[in-house]
Amino acid sequence: MSLDFALILAAIVVLLVLIAIWQTLSMTLGAYWVGSPWGVLTRFTAGILDGELLRNASYTAAEAALGFLLGALPAAALPFALRRLPIATAILDPFMVGGYGAPKLALAPLFILWFGIGIESKIALVAVTVFFIVYFSALAGVRALDARLVRMAQVVGASERDVARHIVFPGAVPYIFTGLRIAMPYSIGGAVIAELISANRGLGYLVQLGAMNFDTTGIFVALVATTLIVFLGNWSVNAAERRLLRWRPPADLTVETGT
Amino acid sequence: MPGQPLLEVRDLSKRFAMRGGREPSPWIIQDLSFSVADGEFLTIIGPSGAGKTTLLNVIAQIDTASGGEVRYQSEVAPLGDAKALNPGLSCRIGYVTQEDNLLPWRTTIENVLFPLNVQRRLNPETRARAEMLIRTVGLAGFEHHYPHELSGGMRKRASLIRTLAYDPPIILMDEPFGALDAQTRLHLQEDLLRLWNLGRKTIVFVTHDIAEAIALGDRTLVLSRTPSRIAGEHVITIPRPRDIRGLMSHPEFGATYERIRAQVQ
Repeated sequence: MSLDFALILAAIVVLLVLIAIWQTLSMTLGAYWVGSPWGVLTRFTAGILDGELLRNASYTAAEAALGFLLGALPAAALPFALRRLPIATAILDPFMVGGYGAPKLALAPLFILWFGIGIESKIALVAVTVFFIVYFSALAGVRALDARLVRMAQVVGASERDVARHIVFPGAVPYIFTGLRIAMPYSIGGAVIAELISANRGLGYLVQLGAMNFDTTGIFVALVATTLIVFLGNWSVNAAERRLLRWRPPADLTVETGT
Repeated sequence: MPGQPLLEVRDLSKRFAMRGGREPSPWIIQDLSFSVADGEFLTIIGPSGAGKTTLLNVIAQIDTASGGEVRYQSEVAPLGDAKALNPGLSCRIGYVTQEDNLLPWRTTIENVLFPLNVQRRLNPETRARAEMLIRTVGLAGFEHHYPHELSGGMRKRASLIRTLAYDPPIILMDEPFGALDAQTRLHLQEDLLRLWNLGRKTIVFVTHDIAEAIALGDRTLVLSRTPSRIAGEHVITIPRPRDIRGLMSHPEFGATYERIRAQVQ
């Protein structure tokens, strides 16, 4: 039996145990407070079949994906632009630290006031959340530059542009991916939270709707769908990382395989 | 002795600034002079910490000098100002460092072609030459491996031919085989001599191994402890091509070894 297969099997066992605990809670406390796993599965399937759940889920996924790109791209590019400008970096630093530390949840009402209850306010919240996480990862990557590789490149005639393109950038990519992997669940969480506060579509809206109707099963369905989107997002980031970082020794790849 | 001097080091001195430049360090190199003829294989030997790497860094223009000058043919390089340095002297000085410094995100062939690539000199002819070098050092079949998939000796070979592939007139080598086991080192020394015989480059090879200095060089300079000065000069007349494995039994080897050992403190 291969290690991967054993890991998958163990994960299934853990999943079954969790479902059993869930079922027990649902039976002891009543399905009114904790929707039963079976009830959730039935509603989930129904939601997929009539398109209602899928529509709301894709709305949330779209917000998260657009916000993710809008936040991650400038965040990854900025440290490269600032590389030769240490003073500008130092001036920006306290603002970046402040932006990183500020609770993004508190920004949600502000963004809704500014951008309305549509998709724009959610994208803005996600983008801001993702931006600061990825910025600091990319900055760490640019700073981790190996001076010996740069000297080697200069000796063989590399221009400043060659150094940026062939040494600084590839060296920072693993760091950027670390940031992307951390930011991915936040992007979906950010979208759902913004919807919770005010929306008429999306998984956060479904959670809010479920709560207003004392429909715990409905809330659970929305939460399961959110989790599945997070899985999908993580898988996409990991797939991109594996493709782009084939040059790394296997031990440096994501911890998930444990090798 | 072949040719006129290609590289001349005159009264070179070096010390580092310590504690933010307020206090100078002791002299690492002081009034060091020597020259290298075109096509010569010069080996420089000195004890650990004798400033050998510093000397090569200054010649390669990745570090400044505190005094003296380095001449390439008749051209004097400005060495005082870090901003005015011209690393590698416009691709005329190659530098094989102690670490292989391969780019981990490039395969063997991509690493070997990297200098030609950034010099915009990659064409079928230079590529064929690079591929020939890869075969010569036994890296055929490993062209598309990443550095982490290669052994220490293979990485060293890749690093060596990366410099040979773009064919700079002078190559500096800083204990390139220092970290390898005895067997691999012997193989690489043989590879290096074979490659050198192909093109007869001018090589300045720094080592702390007396046998290596004799086996490879036309001439060996002995450096003193810091501050570095030339403590001795030895012309190695063992005829080429040399058989490195049988060198120990060559009559000249023992005598030269003893003379050098007496000067290396």
